[in-house]
This record gives sequence, C-alpha cells and structure tokens, in this order.
Amino acid sequence: MFVEVEICLGTTCFVLGASALQELQLPEKLRRQTKISYVRCLNVCKNADKFSKAPYARIDGEIVAEISAEKLAQILEQKIKGEKNEAN
Amino acid sequence: MFIDIACAQLKKHQQNACGDYFLSQRIPEAGRLLAVLSDGLGSGIKASILAKMTATMLLRSLEKDIEIQKAAEILLHSLPVCKVRGISYATFSVIDCDEDGQVSIVEEGNPDFLLIRSGKHRPVEYQEIVSAARPERKLKTYQFQAELGDRLIFCSDGVTQAGMGDNPAYPRGFGKDGLLDKLAECLSAEQSLPSSALAKIIAQNAADIEPRGLPKDDISACVVYFRNPREALLFTGPPYAQEKDTYYAIIFDEFAGKKAICGGTTANIISRELDRPVSTLPEPPSGSLPPISAMSGVDLITEGILTLTRALEYLEKDKLAEKDAAGHLVDFILQTDILRIMLGAKVNQAHYDPALPIEIEIRRNIVKKIAAVLTAKYFKKVEIQYI
Repeated sequence: MFVEVEICLGTTCFVLGASALQELQLPEKLRRQTKISYVRCLNVCKNADKFSKAPYARIDGEIVAEISAEKLAQILEQKIKGEKNEAN
Repeated sequence: MFIDIACAQLKKHQQNACGDYFLSQRIPEAGRLLAVLSDGLGSGIKASILAKMTATMLLRSLEKDIEIQKAAEILLHSLPVCKVRGISYATFSVIDCDEDGQVSIVEEGNPDFLLIRSGKHRPVEYQEIVSAARPERKLKTYQFQAELGDRLIFCSDGVTQAGMGDNPAYPRGFGKDGLLDKLAECLSAEQSLPSSALAKIIAQNAADIEPRGLPKDDISACVVYFRNPREALLFTGPPYAQEKDTYYAIIFDEFAGKKAICGGTTANIISRELDRPVSTLPEPPSGSLPPISAMSGVDLITEGILTLTRALEYLEKDKLAEKDAAGHLVDFILQTDILRIMLGAKVNQAHYDPALPIEIEIRRNIVKKIAAVLTAKYFKKVEIQYI
C-alpha cells in the first residue's frame, strides 16, 4: 500500500513554503511506500478559516495545513507504522 | 492586415553607442503605425544624439499630423552643428502606414527602401522635394497601396556599404543587389519569416561580410511586413460571477487561435466546466516558479500571479530565452500579434495575507503592466476583457 501525497503548488502555498517541497528528499524507508505528486491548486487557501494555513497537502484524501518536509515525514511514519500494526 | 515591424541594429566596431536610431509607434485607434530610422553624421555618441533627435522630432511631428516637409525643415534648423565638419546632419526614412495598406514614406539620404511583393523586388514611383533651407537636401516621397504579404525593407548605409573595399566578393559593398539576393534566399526558404528574424539576418549578414565580422559603420535593418494577424487568448483569474464560469469556459474553448491559462484555480474551473482533465507536467522542479500543466485544446497552462509577475520582468528586461514557466509564457505571448486577455476579477483573499511576500500584486495591475510593455516595446495589440 502506498500513502498518496498531493502537494499544492498554487500561488499561496508556493510562496509560503511548497516551492521547497519540489525537491523533497524523503528517507528511503518512507520513499518506498509513498507516492508524491504535485497539483496546480487544491483550492483550499480561499477557505483558510476552515483549514488553518498554507502550504497545504492532501494525504490520502485528507487536507493537511502548514505542510513541511519534517511534518510530512512525521505523518508518513505514523501512517506507515499504523498500517503495519493493522497488518500484524 | 497586421503590420509586423522590427529593427535589428549593430554598432560600429569599438563604439559605445549606435549612431543609428530607430523609433516606432502604433496608434491603435487609427490602426496606424509610424516609424523612423535615422542615421546620424559620424559615429558614436555624437551620431547617436543627432539620430535620436531626428527620429524623435519626426515621429512627434507625424503624430501631430504636421506636414512632413515642414517637419523636415524645422529639423534642419534645429540639429546641433558638428564642430569638425561645420554641418549638422542625420539621414532618415519615415514610414507612415495603416492596416488598410495605405503607405506613405519619406526618405532623406538613407538607401532607398525596397518593396518585396510576391517574392520579387518592385520599384515604387516617388516624387522629389527640395528643401527650401538646404537645396542640397532632397526628400523622396512615396505613396502607395500595400498588399497582403508585402514587405518593406529599410536600412542604413552600414548595410549597403558593408564590405566595401575590403571584401573581394563585394568590391562596391553589399549594395542593393547583395541585399536583394539575400532577401530572395531567406524568403524562398521561409515565406512567412517574422520581421524580427529577417531584420536580424540582414544586419548580421552585413556584419559578416566586413573584415573579421567587425562593422565599419553602424548597421540598421528595419523590416515591415503586412500579413494576417495571429491572435491568441489568455485566460487568467476566476470570473467574478461564479454562475458565468460555464459561459466563459465555452467562449475560451471556442476561440480559434492559440490559448493559454495563467492560474491554478482558473485551470481547475475550465477543466471542470469543459470536463477535460488537466495534468501537471512532470518537469524537473525549477525552484522559483510552479511548473506548467497540460490540457487538451490548450497550448499553455501556468500558475497565475507569480508567473505573470516574472513574465513581466522578462519582458521589461529583454530576458527572452528563459526556460521556466514564465519563459514559456513570454514565448507564447511574443508569437502573437493580437493578445486577447480574459481577466477574471475574483480575488483570492489568501493572496493578501500579510505573511505573503510583498511582490504578490493584484492580478489586474500585473496584467495592465504586461499590456503596457507589450504595446510600447513589442508593438503588440492587447485587448483586455474584465470578467
């Protein structure tokens, strides 16, 4: 199973940090189970009241605000660990 | 008809300034185009000043519909006199034409312009007017009707005299015949060559036949080309009234020329309304701009504000060979004569978060600035529709 990550490269997200995520280097163990794609715009920032702050990503269909390389790695680790636990 | 005009210039070897000056102006409401090519006496800064004054004064006079003969007389009395030679002089060619093909040309001292029609040189009749103040100076005036596909070639004597005395292949210089041969060669290879490309070829060719490729005089080649206009449409920003999304998406889709979208949300709206998927291209990240996307029936899709802002910078600073998304946008824009812009007025509040960099401007302002630079510097016609 892959964790699907979509990173928003819309204007707001791009200037608030998503530009740095274009060259994201995940640790090998996470990379193998993650599928990262970049999208033009997730259309989230205009509803910032609801979703907190840019940059945004969608991870397995769920919007995550203020995404960064560290935060993404953390979420992925939890998700992958969780899947393993479920499998056991 | 659209009038495609361009001028290419090369400085005399070891000079800091070009002693030829080219100036052109469109008057969109009259579909009229004015241009002046002037060659100042001598070379360097002195020649440059004479040529600039001549071109500017003549263009301003034409703009105000002052009779050309009168404008030339005023000019003869106004130019600063050269200390060494005791004369003041700058030759000129003045072009006044419109989109219906009415052409009026006045020449003084520059090589005769060339009319190329259906690939062949056609001589044009002229009248001679002698200056009242300086009888040695004669104005040649031409009036004729241009046809679709016609090209007018103007140049300074740096082109026609290139190679003179130095190049055995051109003992009397490149001359009119050399120029006509080169034009025939270029136009038979590519009939619809843009004026900018042809002007560059002529100027470079003149420089190449000089010893070691170093021009002995300032070189200017100006090309005017009457052709069908190329139109393109740029859609940027979501429409103000959301219920009109479908309507505008259909108008966009039905446009016959080339099409571009600048804006992630805008692209998503059109994709939704036309039920056509849009995909982000797997390009290597450029770092400073979001990547381009693709959708069938659309020639280019980029992010909005950042890309437009960067494209404006490229256009202002003549950076025309950049490879990022803004570079692609500049390419797209410069390949067209008439750019129609559908400018969505809806504002994304998130763009005005004080946490964002200050260079994020209101879309409307950037687009207006792009329109201004395209009109003034690149001689494009731009029409903005606010939606």
